[in-house]
Amino acid sequence: MPQAPRRRVRSGLIAAVTALALCLGAWLLHQGTETHGPPQPSAAQAASAHPGTGHEPPGAAPLSSSPPDRIRIPSIRVDAPLMGLGLTPQGSLDVPPPQEKNLAGWYEAGTAPGVRGTAVVAGHVDNADGPAVFYDLGALTKGRTIEVDRRDGSVAVFTVDAVEVYDASAFPDKKVYGAADRPELRVITCGGGYSKQTGYRGNVVVFAHLTGSR
Amino acid sequence: MRTSRLLNAAALAAAAAALTAAPAYAGSGGLEVYPANATAGATVTVNTTACGAARTAAGDASAVGAGTFVLAPGTHAKDAEGRFQVPPSAQPGTYEIVAKCSGGGQVTGDLIVALTSSSDQVPPKGHVKTGVGGALGTDPAKTAAGVAALAVAAAGGTWLLHRRARGEGI
Repeated sequence: MPQAPRRRVRSGLIAAVTALALCLGAWLLHQGTETHGPPQPSAAQAASAHPGTGHEPPGAAPLSSSPPDRIRIPSIRVDAPLMGLGLTPQGSLDVPPPQEKNLAGWYEAGTAPGVRGTAVVAGHVDNADGPAVFYDLGALTKGRTIEVDRRDGSVAVFTVDAVEVYDASAFPDKKVYGAADRPELRVITCGGGYSKQTGYRGNVVVFAHLTGSR
Repeated sequence: MRTSRLLNAAALAAAAAALTAAPAYAGSGGLEVYPANATAGATVTVNTTACGAARTAAGDASAVGAGTFVLAPGTHAKDAEGRFQVPPSAQPGTYEIVAKCSGGGQVTGDLIVALTSSSDQVPPKGHVKTGVGGALGTDPAKTAAGVAALAVAAAGGTWLLHRRARGEGI
């Protein structure tokens, strides 16, 4: 039978394709049905026990007061306008409207970024449609820069000192919002695990200090 | 008769244009005052986009005793910006700051003079609600592709088993 070898080749080919499709299908199904969340900071990004003793770049002189307009974090491709934020009736920081996915806010009644003290910026990690402005904030690492465009035309440049994640029930108010004797910045979004009942369990907080301006 | 009707139509059109133009002119934001809460002696920045292309205006902060000042094109597109200093003798209270656009129209904003500085402002407390879990979804495209690949595998497997059952060997 001269056709037998050809058939054998065809069968072998089909067997190979079948095996390949089986593996590929299993892998795709696994990837597709797995719930994946925003990146979270590793323990290595936490604040060092003795601040100032590490390789932290020296601080820059405080800038004069001017409201911020825009925040840029090039390493995680953030480039978003900033709106003024107030407080909720409960005293927590209000948030930008969630439907605006590329919009962050700053605490207007507090310190402006670049001025001596602690300036606070917050933005959504996601909204009902998917990732939002600070989705990748948890992937930010020490030493990276954050730039804030200010209305007086200057750009305040901050360097990241730490990226930490806190449970909502144990949020360190003083550490995050407390006064500072140099220009500092906090960038906050949701994080710390997610459950259907309670939503995100806490916040990712980026700590940075002013290291330059232009 | 025809002329007057034409004139009427022209007047109506002009009125309609004025009506639609007016809100766009005056309605594109008031006078933004920063900081809205200031202490006596502080420098206050005001800006507005309401002055249109001219981007200049005459500012009036005499309500708080700071006299007049000039708003000039700011760093932002369509922005007119100006500054004044709250007099050290200013009393706590709410004051209306006025800017008269050089092209006509005026905008106002409120300045609150407080006893304590903004650094004494209440800081926020607690965590921030900045997510709803919308990014946590599964990937429907990958799932569909996986189902398709498994269907191909099933078809191939069935064909092979069928051949084998017929004794044709693999």
